[in-house]
Amino acid sequence: MKVDNQSIVALLGGNGTGKSTILKATSGLIRAWKGSIEFDGEQIHNLPPHEIVGRGLVQVTQGKDVFPAMSVTENLRLGGFILKTKKQLNDNLEKVFNYFPRLNERKDQLAATLSGGELQMLCIGRGLMSNPKMIMLDEPSAALAPQIVLDIFKNINRIRKDGLTVLIVEQNVRMALLLADYGYVIKDGVINVEGDSKKLMYDESVKESYLGGTKANVQ
Amino acid sequence: MFNKLRIGKKGENIIFSVFVLIYIAWCISSPDMNIESLKSVLTIGLSVGIIYGLVALGISLIYTGLDVVNFSHGEFFMIGAFAGLTMFNVLGDQDWIFNVFPDAYGWIVYVVCLFTAFVSMGLFGVFIERVFLRPLTKKGGGYTVAGMGIIICGFGLSVVLINVAYLIWNPVAKPFPAELGLPMEIGGLFLPITYIWMIVVGLGVAAGLWFFLNKTKMGLGIRAVAFSKDVSNLVGINVPLYISIIFGIACAIAGIGGTLVGPTYQVVVFMGYIILMKAFAAAVVGGFGNLPGAIVGGFTVGIFETASSFYISGSHKDLYAFLLMIVVLMIKPTGFFGTQVKMKA
Repeated sequence: MKVDNQSIVALLGGNGTGKSTILKATSGLIRAWKGSIEFDGEQIHNLPPHEIVGRGLVQVTQGKDVFPAMSVTENLRLGGFILKTKKQLNDNLEKVFNYFPRLNERKDQLAATLSGGELQMLCIGRGLMSNPKMIMLDEPSAALAPQIVLDIFKNINRIRKDGLTVLIVEQNVRMALLLADYGYVIKDGVINVEGDSKKLMYDESVKESYLGGTKANVQ
Repeated sequence: MFNKLRIGKKGENIIFSVFVLIYIAWCISSPDMNIESLKSVLTIGLSVGIIYGLVALGISLIYTGLDVVNFSHGEFFMIGAFAGLTMFNVLGDQDWIFNVFPDAYGWIVYVVCLFTAFVSMGLFGVFIERVFLRPLTKKGGGYTVAGMGIIICGFGLSVVLINVAYLIWNPVAKPFPAELGLPMEIGGLFLPITYIWMIVVGLGVAAGLWFFLNKTKMGLGIRAVAFSKDVSNLVGINVPLYISIIFGIACAIAGIGGTLVGPTYQVVVFMGYIILMKAFAAAVVGGFGNLPGAIVGGFTVGIFETASSFYISGSHKDLYAFLLMIVVLMIKPTGFFGTQVKMKA
């Protein structure tokens, strides 16, 4: 699997096919048993998670993984934990508030009081705080209203245009393929289909891997 | 069936208030009750309570950071007291300090002792965590089978540390003759100056910890690690390092507690165990894992214990802390400030 610079790549697949496991292995939360993961030409699969973040590869978790007892600003400041100076931190805060003005309105609220969409924005914003080169999104559309999903996806596109690389794991296949340049469909932990997202959108085998590979014989 | 027995948060508070009122009525009906005795009970209770609170603070801190209860924490308290005493004896041989500061000699030496206990126990705690607990936390931490291993390791560590201290300092109780000055008169009550030191320094340490956790970047990281290690990893926090820092801070605070107790009582090898148990009771009363709760729980246990031994019966002094813990667990299982109950080993 390969993710090109400044592109959006979608990683698709049904429940329990190993999408999140790939992300966790990449960000160092779990060790890969075999194989290798490279980022910027260097092997990273033996590094501890905080060093991987330091190299500019950040995983954004699903919206429920924020620190509920801290305010929105504190959550964002945690995202910029590896930054050295206060100025960088404030610049990045500005940048995130520019992407998501809703967070600026609620910056002093506790994260526990935010809505689902705002939590997702907070998570993505937290990922952007550390000046990453590439972010990996884990199901940014999970359990959100279609309108908010659209809003978030527009922002992901903006993020890419600003020079970041995005790897997106999705259940919402149509939306993800609309957004992405390239797509991988995995099944039982191995890549089943890959190709241009335009092509994948009409590919029968994509449907097949979502339905578990058993084709109903309609006569 | 158990659903019917649940009384809810409001019911808990009402029943607990009834218990407190009955207890206060019992104390008032005692023949010893008067304003003078109440004053001394409150000051002694507060000064003992802040010590329980400091140790409970460490237990709660380790519980939030490592997800386990550290049953060797009382021994860090005891070794902290010995570290302070050793520094005191070293400085006692140096005449030049007395010559340079003839007036402030006593408290300068004592502050140096407190500082020594703080720093040395902090480093010792980091060492213990790195060498003995790290292999176990690596295997999964508090929520897994390894969590049980860490708890048993804590008990073992307690025995080992007591015996090491026994070898170094032998089991004879040692006085800690800090020259802090004459008793002070506050509101018609003559208080040994060490009691005031306990309360002031203890509250100062607690306030310092609060400031550190809430206002500094490292404190932000510690709170993040305490809440979730996975998410902390993903924002780039060096989680193993922060777990060491948490353990070190908890041990350093226990060390200060030991040195604070030293001049009032004596320094003995076996002083850690009962303090650990009472601090545990204080942590439960305040709400396990809640840091302000640990200090409030310490004060509650201290005052309850002193008042009970004064007004009810003095012959079972060590019983009351656990009695209070049992009552709180029966009526209000979350303690004063505990919000959620997590399953931890």
